[in-house]
Amino acid sequence: MSRLEVDAPTLPVETGEPDLDEAVRTERPWQVIVWNDPVNLMSYVVWVLQKLFGYSRERATTLMLQVHHEGRAVVAHGTREKAEADVARLHAHGLWATMQRDA
Amino acid sequence: MGGSRRVPGLRVHLSPEEAARLRRTAELVAARVEGGVPERGADAVRDRLFPRAYLDPTEERAEADWQAAVHAELAAAKTEALEVLVGHLDAARRRRTGHLEVRLGPHDVERWVAALNDLRLVLGTELGVSDEDPNPDPAADPAQAPARATYRFLTALQGELVEWLAGDPGLDPLDPDPLDPDG
Repeated sequence: MSRLEVDAPTLPVETGEPDLDEAVRTERPWQVIVWNDPVNLMSYVVWVLQKLFGYSRERATTLMLQVHHEGRAVVAHGTREKAEADVARLHAHGLWATMQRDA
Repeated sequence: MGGSRRVPGLRVHLSPEEAARLRRTAELVAARVEGGVPERGADAVRDRLFPRAYLDPTEERAEADWQAAVHAELAAAKTEALEVLVGHLDAARRRRTGHLEVRLGPHDVERWVAALNDLRLVLGTELGVSDEDPNPDPAADPAQAPARATYRFLTALQGELVEWLAGDPGLDPLDPDPLDPDG
């Protein structure tokens, strides 16, 4: 028996691929990185990446698996200000995220 | 008026022991959220609740500015999510079986999931959870057995709620709770 009883389901909203505008796409000065963490559930990481960045489930799963297997993954690019905002949103959801300049 | 509209949401059934465990852990974690920006290296739990944004040591000024700009808001959001969780436990309906039923809308579920994640981050850090031992066995360490059991319970509950949020609930909404005579 499950402890949950569903009244009606809900689904995350897909807004397409990475939310990069054209100016950012050409510069990409900062990377937002999510690091592997033994506590965060894989399903939770996928859901957070979908929710915050509008990624498809497939893309979010690919990034989560990269985090899990390689220790880290770049989940977003952008200006310093955008990266700082993205890191704050990821921290609000308990993911271990940092930012650094593109190599 | 008239007619009924199915509002997205779900009901979480908890035993009194589970509810007490949730409340106790939430209160412990709320205390760890307080205290401002962590002094790095002094407390692994607070370092994990509030990580750095910049790892580059040449960006110390940017790190300090970022923490000054966001820490209070991050801490307030975590505190609010914990308070929401405890508030839902306070408002839970007791069923004839003795179980507690918590009704959650989608936004409530999101806040529960975030709060549960913070509970697991705190307990998991204290228990030394690792990729090699991601779900510590309570029977393997009597001294840590209560905390390990709580961590496992939190993991299961968060996993179920995330599945529901992801639209892959694996739950049959038409299947009444067989232990629930009210249902």
